[in-house]
Amino acid sequence: MQDPENDGIILFRDAAIGYPGEPPVLSGVSLNALPGEMVALIGRNGSGKSTLLRTIAGMLPLKEGIYSLRGAPLSAYDIRKRARLISLVSSRAPALPSMTIGEVVIMGRIPHTGWMGRYGKPDREMVRDALHQLGLQELAHRQVDHVSDGERQRAMIARAFVQDTPVMLLDEPTAFLDLPARFELTGVMAGFRESGKTLVYATHDLEMALMHADRLWVIDRGKVVEGGPEDLGLSGLFDRLFQDEGIVFDHGQHRFIRGIVRKGTFTLSGGNELVRGWTGNAMNRIGFMEAGGTGPDPPGSGNTVVPVTVEGEDPAYRWIITRDGQQFSFDRLYTLVQFLTRIE
Amino acid sequence: MFALLVLLALLALLDVLLGTARIALPEIIAHLAGTGSLSEQEIVILTRFRLPRLATALLAGAALPACGLQMQTLFRNPLAGPYVLGISSGASLGAALVVLGSGATGIIPGWSLALAAWAGAALVLLLLLFVSLRIRDVTTILILGIMFSSGIAAVISIMQYFSQATALKSFVIWSMGSLGNVTGSGLTIMTLAIVPLLAGTMFYVKVLNGLMLGEEYAVSMGIRIRVTRIIIFATTSLLAGTVTAFCGPIGFIGIAVPHVARLLFRRSDHRILMPATVLTGMVILTLADIVSQLPGTERVLPINAVTSLMGIPVVIWLVMLNRKAQPV
Repeated sequence: MQDPENDGIILFRDAAIGYPGEPPVLSGVSLNALPGEMVALIGRNGSGKSTLLRTIAGMLPLKEGIYSLRGAPLSAYDIRKRARLISLVSSRAPALPSMTIGEVVIMGRIPHTGWMGRYGKPDREMVRDALHQLGLQELAHRQVDHVSDGERQRAMIARAFVQDTPVMLLDEPTAFLDLPARFELTGVMAGFRESGKTLVYATHDLEMALMHADRLWVIDRGKVVEGGPEDLGLSGLFDRLFQDEGIVFDHGQHRFIRGIVRKGTFTLSGGNELVRGWTGNAMNRIGFMEAGGTGPDPPGSGNTVVPVTVEGEDPAYRWIITRDGQQFSFDRLYTLVQFLTRIE
Repeated sequence: MFALLVLLALLALLDVLLGTARIALPEIIAHLAGTGSLSEQEIVILTRFRLPRLATALLAGAALPACGLQMQTLFRNPLAGPYVLGISSGASLGAALVVLGSGATGIIPGWSLALAAWAGAALVLLLLLFVSLRIRDVTTILILGIMFSSGIAAVISIMQYFSQATALKSFVIWSMGSLGNVTGSGLTIMTLAIVPLLAGTMFYVKVLNGLMLGEEYAVSMGIRIRVTRIIIFATTSLLAGTVTAFCGPIGFIGIAVPHVARLLFRRSDHRILMPATVLTGMVILTLADIVSQLPGTERVLPINAVTSLMGIPVVIWLVMLNRKAQPV
């Protein structure tokens, strides 16, 4: 049985991190990650995500505290040994010279080559496997500047993968990708766990992280909080995270919403699961929270109560509400929303 | 690569055969085979002038593009070249001090000129090493290198302004470059400096490959960035400084040849690209040397002008060709 407190492949205790000669970006950092875990590092822009990743990679010295990698302080490894322990995918897509995807990916084998940098057959086989795993096998001979952002990013990840390190650090790997590409890439990264790798990836996409990550490191006001995603959800961390900006967490839908001022509550009767879900979405959007529900808890003190009854079957639903003793009936949620926003 | 070698051999032969005095190939073969003989004068022309000149072209043609490729990879900038760090300005300052400062009229010993130019280049190297130990960002170093160059150029132009016409002309001629002034011990020294350094460069290709994705990735792949920078700056300064000291500044081929090699070989791996660049550079400078002697005439053009005039259209053509091949 692993001891999750002390067996981490990455372990920070009471560390302060930041740039030399400047006040620390984060202090009191105590974190760990186990082999085979996918860790999502969540935080706002400029909160110190990249600084933390650079510290893990050994590119920034620790200001105070302890950071150990595989049970030894980082200084126990010279730069070459580190290159066999940690690989990196930077957030900035490098302006690449004219190279093919295959040429970029095989560069990951550099730390494993001799001093002339000759790639052997095992190197090429690893590259072939990685290209296959990332769906790039058709693109091996394409120039990197002739492929999509998603394909280029996958090539950079394949390069880090063939570096064959127990730890992979990825700085916002999904930042510029559209939704399907984001899902695909996150899925591929989740698959890396099977080879025992520990992945730490920085992201602002908490919603996506909640679907995949084993552990979250959340940066909140200069501190890092860690835990299982659901445990952190239960602790109320997500509610506080962007509170000051009027962004609240919807525990029912596992997503953040903002710009909503509470106008009151609604009760919902009738209808199937699907129509109730979408009705809830429409009501939340205009400031009505389900009485006693798990929905978001936006600021505001409105206390209007709107009873909603759903009648009919797909595709002919009807929504009936009672206002001041009078009944109103709507055949679309759009008109219901318009009515409710107008009377307020 | 093989085709380039054959081309190089042909051009080298042509370079030796062409010139004001006609010496035919059968005569040389006959002389070597002992079945015929060349006149005393012809032997002097070959061994004292044409062969050293060819050797100089080969050395400079190999060294400058190798420096250019290193600089382009280190700075990740296609416009970088061997002189981008101010090496040629440093060498020019050394030469200017000797030629203009001494107020020399008439002949300046080639030796003192080369030594002064070399010292100037070495001075710039020391400055660069000092800077690169202090500055993290490689682009800042590039900008400082350009500033050094411009500053030194300004000093030189002041010196030119106040110098005598004869000295000025000597200096201007030096600054036009020449492959024909290196003989005897000068050539030996040039060879001893350039060949080992070039060989060393060939063993540095792994690091150059690792630099292609930028310094952050290089570090993550186990490359010691400061040591690497110092080694690259030092080899570039010594190679380019030596060539400039003996031949004067030879523009253009240092920047252009790596691009030509990339387009010819379509590879970014420095294990291929470095030897390809060196070979292409030797071919191009030998060709430029042939052209500069204006075969069939008795005049010789300055090599610096020839490399540029010859190379620019080629590069423009290659670049346009490459653009067209890309989907818009």
